[in-house]
Amino acid sequence: MTSNATRWALLGATTATALGVGATVARRRRRHQPDRRDGWYVVRRGITVDRPMDALVGFWTDRERLDRALAGWATLEQLDDNRWRCVARDRAGRTGWRAEITVTGPRRLSWRVEAGPVPQQGRVDLVPAPRDRGTEIRVELRYRFGGPVRRALGLVRGAEPDQGLRDALRRIKSLIECGQVIDTRRDPSGRDQRQEAATDRLRERLTTGGRA
Amino acid sequence: MRALCWEGVGKLAVRDVPEPRIRAEGDIIVKVRASSVCGSDLHLINGYLPAMREGDILGHEFTGEVVETGPGVQRLRVGDRVVVGSVVACGGCWYCRTEQFSLCDNSNAQPVLTEKLWGHAPAGILGYSHAAGGYSGSHAEYIRVPFGDVGAFPVPDGVPDDAVVFASDALPTGWMAADFCGLKGGEVVAVWGAGGVGQMAARSAQILGAERVIVIDRLPQRLATAAARLGVETINYADTDVLEALREMTAGRGPDACIEAVGMEAHDVGPGYAYDRVKQSARLTLDRPTSVRQAIMACRKGGTVSIVGVYAGLVDKFPLGAAMNKALVLRMGQMHAQRYIPMLLDRLAAGEIDPGYLATHPLALEDGVRGYELFEKKRDGCLRSVLHPVR
Repeated sequence: MTSNATRWALLGATTATALGVGATVARRRRRHQPDRRDGWYVVRRGITVDRPMDALVGFWTDRERLDRALAGWATLEQLDDNRWRCVARDRAGRTGWRAEITVTGPRRLSWRVEAGPVPQQGRVDLVPAPRDRGTEIRVELRYRFGGPVRRALGLVRGAEPDQGLRDALRRIKSLIECGQVIDTRRDPSGRDQRQEAATDRLRERLTTGGRA
Repeated sequence: MRALCWEGVGKLAVRDVPEPRIRAEGDIIVKVRASSVCGSDLHLINGYLPAMREGDILGHEFTGEVVETGPGVQRLRVGDRVVVGSVVACGGCWYCRTEQFSLCDNSNAQPVLTEKLWGHAPAGILGYSHAAGGYSGSHAEYIRVPFGDVGAFPVPDGVPDDAVVFASDALPTGWMAADFCGLKGGEVVAVWGAGGVGQMAARSAQILGAERVIVIDRLPQRLATAAARLGVETINYADTDVLEALREMTAGRGPDACIEAVGMEAHDVGPGYAYDRVKQSARLTLDRPTSVRQAIMACRKGGTVSIVGVYAGLVDKFPLGAAMNKALVLRMGQMHAQRYIPMLLDRLAAGEIDPGYLATHPLALEDGVRGYELFEKKRDGCLRSVLHPVR
């Protein structure tokens, strides 16, 4: 009897603990999950660039500077007055996107990925920052990721398009403010090839992504 | 080229490594003439500041000669003798525009770790782990300096390498510590730590108007050097109750400003220190904030506590109640090298500050491992080992 009671008590305690841990993990996950609307994940990110609005607009319209800035990362092709085609790939060259960018109003443009691993679309607004802090680039990104079951259970991991967006915003800010995106890969070190490859993987993790 | 590399916790070695190359328009390559060890390197070597990788080149406080410039460099020429601030700053963001260079938005190439640890990523620092950008350091024959026009400054004629090298970090850090105190003249300033930064902070406080400067340490030789070179008063905490001594020396008021130039591996005496030490050794905490606690307790009501010792994580037993109820001003941060270096070089050239005496052990780069050992164990009266890759 005693041993049965002990067993039941242990089972009860284990179940309660498992449920508690599960609930906590689920709550944590939910907090880090992007909003969902009309079958899309929706994230909003912003970055402040220490330049007036005109300088930001000027950066996008100065073809030479833009090409230099995007070298090795993306190409832009102008389709007509308000439409551009952007072909981009990630740093490692593993995945590529083709997107159409449309200027939809003053200080506003939108884009839609026509070919790429993840369906996505988004909108960029330029907003003056308070005081003398320059211009805020505010972005709303919508993407689909994973199958319906993963989406229903909130099991999206890493949220790659969101990370890509944060990385892109950081790069754009840096390009406009100081003309380059700082990079310390291939700086000298006493590492052999294998150690350097492992360090590059760490660099990648410490370079892309964001706070969440 | 030869370079001093980190090989794992507590392990260093001089190795053959590839030479750096110009990678961006604003880069310069500097042939290193003198590169100092720094107390904050010890935190990296001993594994208390995370994100070191085997093979990383150490060193962030140096002077040398420009041997190559990127096409975008305008202010510097090949052959210029320069001193380089250890903090990397882009020169183009809001923080750089407002001269808060160590908070630069764009110079940390790998900002994710510090964003997670601290909420935002501060500037990158040369030779200071992958949390600070993963830059190669200056304990090498050559170093790539990004944003050369922003971070490298021509050295005035007649100032020797072993003095100007400290204009890279120890001196601007000490100056900023004193600058934080908002001195108007006639104050009593206490400085925790009689190392390079502490002594430069003491000298800076004197220049900025402090009437009395009291330096606190446990090493008699360092205290004697500070007293002889700078004319400061000293307290040896190993045999004196610091709080009592400071109260007595200021007739009960406490110092107007307290500068903490020690950092996360502070020493102390007593059971509280033993507890912190065990906790840090077990990596349950990154920091031993002994001297910060003491500075807050010692500071006069309404005074300023200025922290330039390096801390990384969370601390316990922090006397927030004392700080709050005494209405203290707390100032802290990595130094804004580029704001202070030009002014400090003028003062060096004029002989107003002479940090050359800090370089007690000029050594060849090949002796770098011994240089750190002398420095860490405070052997042979070592204040700073300064490595010379080119002789």
